[in-house]
Amino acid sequence: MDGRRLLDKLFKATVVALSVAVLLPLFHIVGTIIYEGGRTLLEGGLGFLAGPPPLGIGPALAGSAVLVVLTTLLGVPVAFLTAVLAVEYPESLVGRAAKLLSKSFVEIPTILVGVLMYTLIVVPMGSFSALAGASALAVVILPYVYTYVEEALSSIPRTYREAAFSLGLTRAKALVHVFMGIARRGIATGILIGVAKAAGETAPLLFTIGGGTQTYFRGLGAPIDAVPLLIYQYVQMPSEAYHRTAWGAALVLTLLYLAVFVAVRRAVKEVKY
Amino acid sequence: MRVRSDRLLFYALLPFGGIVVALFALLINVLVDNSIPILEREGLNFFTSPQWRPSETPGEEFYGILAPLYGTIYTSIIAVAIALPTSVSLAVFVTDLAPPRLRELFIGLVDVMAGLPTILYGIWGALVLAPFLKDRLMDPLHTYLGFVPLFSCQPVTGYTVFTAGLILALMVVPFMTAVIREAYSRIPDTYREAVYSLGATDYEAARTLVSMIRPAILAALLLGFGRAAGETIAVSLTVGNSASISACAFTPGYTIASLIANQFANAGLYRHMTSALYAAGLILLVIGLALNTAGLYMLARWRKTRVGR
Repeated sequence: MDGRRLLDKLFKATVVALSVAVLLPLFHIVGTIIYEGGRTLLEGGLGFLAGPPPLGIGPALAGSAVLVVLTTLLGVPVAFLTAVLAVEYPESLVGRAAKLLSKSFVEIPTILVGVLMYTLIVVPMGSFSALAGASALAVVILPYVYTYVEEALSSIPRTYREAAFSLGLTRAKALVHVFMGIARRGIATGILIGVAKAAGETAPLLFTIGGGTQTYFRGLGAPIDAVPLLIYQYVQMPSEAYHRTAWGAALVLTLLYLAVFVAVRRAVKEVKY
Repeated sequence: MRVRSDRLLFYALLPFGGIVVALFALLINVLVDNSIPILEREGLNFFTSPQWRPSETPGEEFYGILAPLYGTIYTSIIAVAIALPTSVSLAVFVTDLAPPRLRELFIGLVDVMAGLPTILYGIWGALVLAPFLKDRLMDPLHTYLGFVPLFSCQPVTGYTVFTAGLILALMVVPFMTAVIREAYSRIPDTYREAVYSLGATDYEAARTLVSMIRPAILAALLLGFGRAAGETIAVSLTVGNSASISACAFTPGYTIASLIANQFANAGLYRHMTSALYAAGLILLVIGLALNTAGLYMLARWRKTRVGR
C-alpha cells in the first residue's frame, strides 16, 4: 500500500472515530438518566410524580405545566404576528427591524433574559411570580417560534398568493383562509418547538419564579416551581436523596423532550434549533 | 378598499413587531442603566482587577470582572478547540462518507443533541462526568504530563475549567456542525467531480473541499464561541465556581454567566454587588452580539462567493 492510500485510510478512520465519539456521550447521558431516573420512578411510583418535595416532584411538574401554558399564551401570538408582519410587509421599517431582532434573540444568553424580567417584573411586584417566569420564557422561545412561522409563511408559492388575491380577498382574509392553511404544518412545528423549549429551559427561571415551593399553583403573582429548576437546585445539594429525585425529574424531562422531538420529526425532516 | 384593509392589517400587526423591538431596547437599557453606578465607582479597574470582594462594609467592597472574564474565554476556547475538528469531521462524514441510512441516523442524533435541555447536560456533567474525569483523565494527566502548564496542578475535585469546557464542547458541536455542514453541502457538485476526476483520494478531496469553505468554518467558530460564552446552567454545575486565574485547566473557575447565576439572588445583601453583576451581564451581551454579528457577516460574505452561492 502506498503512502497516499495509507493517508486516506488514516483520514477516514479519524473522521469516523471522531463522529462516533461525539455521539457516545449522548447515549451515556440518556442511558444514565433512564437507569438512575428509572430507579427513582419505580421506587416512588405515582407518589414521585404527584407528591411534594424532596421525594416527589408534584409541585414542580404542575408548575412546569402552568408555565408552559402561560408562556405559549404570551409568546406564541407575539412571535406569530411578528412573523406575519415580517413576511407580509417586508419593506416596512418595523418589519425589517423585527425580522433582524427576532433572529438575534437566539444569541442573547438566556440568563440575561431572566435578569431583565427580574428587573421589570419581580422588583416592582415585590415577589417572584409565575408571570415573571413565563414572560422570561416567552422571550426565550420567541426566536424559535418566529423562525418556523416565518419560514412556513414565506415558502408559500407565489402562485398561491396571487390566486388568493385575484379572488378579491384582502390580505387579512387571505392570511386566515389560505396562507395559514398552507403553512399550518410549519406553524404547528414552531409552536411545538416553543413548548419543548419552555419546558426545558432553566436559566431564565433562576431569578424569576422563586422555586422551591412546597405548594401547587397559587396564582399568577405567586412564586412557582418548575422541573428544570428543581433539578438544578437538587443537583447542588450534598445529599444522595436529593440527587435521586433530580435523576427522576431528569427522566420525566427527557421523555417529554423526546416525545416532542419525535412529533416534530414526523412533521418536518430537518429540525433547527 | 383592498389597499385600506391592507393598511389596517399592517397597523394591527405593528404593535407586535414593536414589542420585539422594545424588548431589545429594554434589555440594553436595563443593563446599561444598572451598570453605571459600579463603573462610576471603580472605572477601568472593574475590567482589569481579578478581585471579587463582597463586604458588609460598603466602603470595602470591590468587584473586578477579570477572573470570570478569563474563565469565560478559557472554557469557551477549550470548547471550540474540541468541537471544531469534531464538527468538521461530522460534516464530512455525514455529507460524503456515510451511506444514506447511516447519514439520516447521524443527522437525527445530532439534532437530538442540539435540542436536549441544558439542565440534562448539567446533571450528567455534575454527577457523572466530573468524578469520572478526575479519576480517569485529570489525575493521570497531571501525574505523567504535569510539566505541561495546562496539566500542571493537582485537581482537587472534578469541578474544573476543563470539565466545563468539555461539557460546552458537547453542547456546541451540533450547532457548529449545522453551520459547517450547510456550507460543505453547498459546494457545487462540479467541484466534487472535478477533484475526484483528477484521481484524488477521499482524503485529498475532503482537504480540497474543506479549504473551500474556510470562511464558513471561521463563522462556525465565532458562533460556537458565542454560544459557549453565554451558556449558564451546565457550566455553573461543573466549573467549580471559584474566582481564580490560572493557566492550569484543572483548577475550579468562574464564568460571567455562572457568576451571575450564583450571586445575583444574594447580591441585594451588599451595596454595590447588584450593579457589578448588571455590568457583568452587559459585557456578556456585548461579547455575544459581537461574535454573532462577526460570524453572520462571515457567513453572508461567504455565500456571495462562487462556491457558496
